[in-house]
Amino acid sequence: MSAVLQSLVNQPYKHGFVTEIESDIAPKGLNEDIIRLISAKKNEPEWLLAFRLKAYQKWLTMTAPKWQNVHFPQIDFQDISYYSAPKPKTKLASMDEVDPELLRTFEKLGVPMHERAALAGVAVDVIFDSVSVATTYKQKLAEVGIIFCSISEAVHNHPELVQQYLGTVVPVGDNYFAALNSAVFTDGSFCFIPKGVKCPMDLSTYFRINTEGSGQFERTLIIAEEGASVSYLEGCTAPRFDTNQLHAAVVELVALDNADIKYSTVQNWYAGDEKGVGGIFNFVTKRGLAKGVNSRISWTQVETGSAITWKYPSCILRGDNSVGEFYSVAVTNNYQQADTGTKMIHLGKNTRSTIVSKGISAGHSNSSYRGLVRVAPTAENARNYSQCDSMLIGDQCGAHTFPYIQVQNSSATVEHEASTSKIGEDQLFYFSQRGIDAEEAVSMIINGFCKDVFQQLPMEFAVEATKLLSFKLEGSVG
Amino acid sequence: MTTSLQSDYLQYLLSSWDIKPTESLSWLDRLRAEAIDQAGTQQLPTKKDEEWRFTDISPLARLPFQAATPKFDLQAKDIEHLKLKEADNRLVFVDGHFAPHLSIISGSLSHIVGNLPALTSRDTLLQSHLGKHVSIDHNVFAALNTAFLRDAAVIVFPKEFVLEQPVHLLFIATQSEVTSYPRSLIIGEPGSQATVIEDYVSLQPSAAYITNSVTEISLAEHARIQHVRVQRESNQAFHLANCAASLGHASHFQSTTVTLGAQISRYNMHIHIANEAAECDISGLSMISGRQLADTHTCIDHAKPHGISQQQHKCIVDDAAHAVFNGKIIVRPHAQRTNSSQSSRNLLLSKSAQVDTKPQLEIFADDVKCAHGATVGQLDAEEIFYLQSRGLSETEARNLLTFAFGAEIINRIPVPSLKQQLEQAVLKQTQSH
Repeated sequence: MSAVLQSLVNQPYKHGFVTEIESDIAPKGLNEDIIRLISAKKNEPEWLLAFRLKAYQKWLTMTAPKWQNVHFPQIDFQDISYYSAPKPKTKLASMDEVDPELLRTFEKLGVPMHERAALAGVAVDVIFDSVSVATTYKQKLAEVGIIFCSISEAVHNHPELVQQYLGTVVPVGDNYFAALNSAVFTDGSFCFIPKGVKCPMDLSTYFRINTEGSGQFERTLIIAEEGASVSYLEGCTAPRFDTNQLHAAVVELVALDNADIKYSTVQNWYAGDEKGVGGIFNFVTKRGLAKGVNSRISWTQVETGSAITWKYPSCILRGDNSVGEFYSVAVTNNYQQADTGTKMIHLGKNTRSTIVSKGISAGHSNSSYRGLVRVAPTAENARNYSQCDSMLIGDQCGAHTFPYIQVQNSSATVEHEASTSKIGEDQLFYFSQRGIDAEEAVSMIINGFCKDVFQQLPMEFAVEATKLLSFKLEGSVG
Repeated sequence: MTTSLQSDYLQYLLSSWDIKPTESLSWLDRLRAEAIDQAGTQQLPTKKDEEWRFTDISPLARLPFQAATPKFDLQAKDIEHLKLKEADNRLVFVDGHFAPHLSIISGSLSHIVGNLPALTSRDTLLQSHLGKHVSIDHNVFAALNTAFLRDAAVIVFPKEFVLEQPVHLLFIATQSEVTSYPRSLIIGEPGSQATVIEDYVSLQPSAAYITNSVTEISLAEHARIQHVRVQRESNQAFHLANCAASLGHASHFQSTTVTLGAQISRYNMHIHIANEAAECDISGLSMISGRQLADTHTCIDHAKPHGISQQQHKCIVDDAAHAVFNGKIIVRPHAQRTNSSQSSRNLLLSKSAQVDTKPQLEIFADDVKCAHGATVGQLDAEEIFYLQSRGLSETEARNLLTFAFGAEIINRIPVPSLKQQLEQAVLKQTQSH
């Protein structure tokens, strides 16, 4: 049976193609002039240029971190083009005006915008490379006062909001890649839910990297005011290239009193070929600030792509009674590497956090869970529950757990559990005895293993994730 | 603190090195010379080193304590209360130097218990073990210990030899402002069985000094060794210790560590499952108060298949004390059918007490069973209520529960008199409220 499965696992990356659209590319290299160029191209106000330059100065004083459990050749930051945009056009009012070539790209990706918008009621802010091309449902959202647009639009139309919150959760000098992002970010999403508004639909952005050799530096900022709630979906896919591409995004979430932000990600970027050549470097800083009382921030992620995934979606639980959640499935195959997890920083009283992390390693891959639970002296009655399970498929892969638990308040209750297991021959035998072939059995076992996380995903994402996982791991067992 | 200052500190420590031991063995001199070279290339760890990020030993650099010189004022009566009645072999080291007048060696020809320089007849055996189990690169304290190696407790249990009575290694600190370098080597040959107690004590409750100890343990096939380690240094002392054990085929290693003393203590334990089907059972208790810091780093390295490891570590932290636990379990490629479990349980008794725990798994084989768990919390209100409903006062209930939490580890010690001593010590501390 292994031969059949072997052929399945070796299926080429489905989304590997390059769309030929004329791009407006900045020369390679990073210096103050490039930052000024990006800022000028985007017609940015003075304060944002100052923000970028401050970040750049900070970045120059920093050195790349070395503690991570992923290995990659040194990145030449001067060999990256920091700006690339489809040819500037006047803004489009309807889908019909969109470049047909671009539409075909989305079609190939399985994101039929009309259909998706109509059937699922999802507003898709499509990011093609670094500039927003089309935004749907903006009108409908505007009716309830929600601002959902690209961050560059927000800079022009709502500068006071951007200026107030940008860099407050992830400061410019937070870490090496966040500083880089702050200096050169080109676009991303901005979302503002005003007081008391429950967002009537799931908000969604599809990211896509194009143009060989251009790094992508997305910046996302989501603000939920008092009593507001929003569910945000991020889905990713990128075409295949043989040179590694750096992706260093920053996502900042701010939840005020009684606000609720749910952020879900399905990441399926190009992971490199079966020999580990190529693939995306996905080094992301994601952090949510539960600023107000009773606020809640929930991260759900399904990480299946990228040559290297290195990110820790985190929650700073500052408001009393605030809640942080992290649900993650990370799948690595071939030579993929993942070092992912979360940080739960308990500052307020009665703060609670839950961590559920599932790691699946196959082939020659390595997957690590790295998590921090910190209870500050001020966090009376803080509560944390963490569970991280790993599954190994094959004897060439590795699974690692690095949970840091730091408690400085005796009223805290912190629990951490971890286990490692494999798909047992007994389990497969049981399935085959019931007439279920190995391929399907593996898929069922894996989906059972990840159930706790998939339950957190919005419906259509859950379906996609289930398929994705089965597809990723088919043939690894046998 | 600057780097150059640290190097100066090391240079200063090393300046007293050239004093040779009286009965010198050439291979030993070589070992020492290599270690001094190693130590010279290293720096004192700082909080920026991942392995030391919770333990700040910068105060150490302000205390350039030279190696202790032998001083044997102690009389047998001074250590009466430290003797264990079960042990008929006792090696006493005063400030790291062997004190023959306080020791009892009842070892017959069959097994060896003694001080390293006196054991020239077993040169080849010792040479193949001493310094071979502990790693001195990236470990400046083990390198320093090896560089200053003179006396060492050596115990060799020959093939199929079963020693019923425990061997007591007693390391007594008597001087202030010195560094002592205790060293132990325990060799269990095939099929041997024995119990060894490492006991670190101080006769002055508030003397400031540094203990830098290294213990190497080797178990050949089917050997069974029970290892007990008690650290009750003075409350101003620094205790820096490394223990490395290599486990042979189907050997069984049980180790119980109790940490009560020292201002700052750090214990590194490295267990190398070097052959198939070896088993280890590790437990530890740190009970600290005041402004003490107790750091335990363990690493269980499953290099071969069918190994079993169990580990339980507990911390009871009171006042403004700070406990650190880092338990790493590595399962190497092909170490299939490894079964490993680890738990870290921490009890915080006061508002300003602090715990940093990191149970860490690094797994490279698929057919393994590995689990770990960690908890941090305070005494259960319902348990206290239950005991109060049985007529205990709240304080009594708390003390009883705290004692029971610690007693689970102490009960594993196979030597009744030592167990009783430690139970008393834990009881005394729980009742100090």
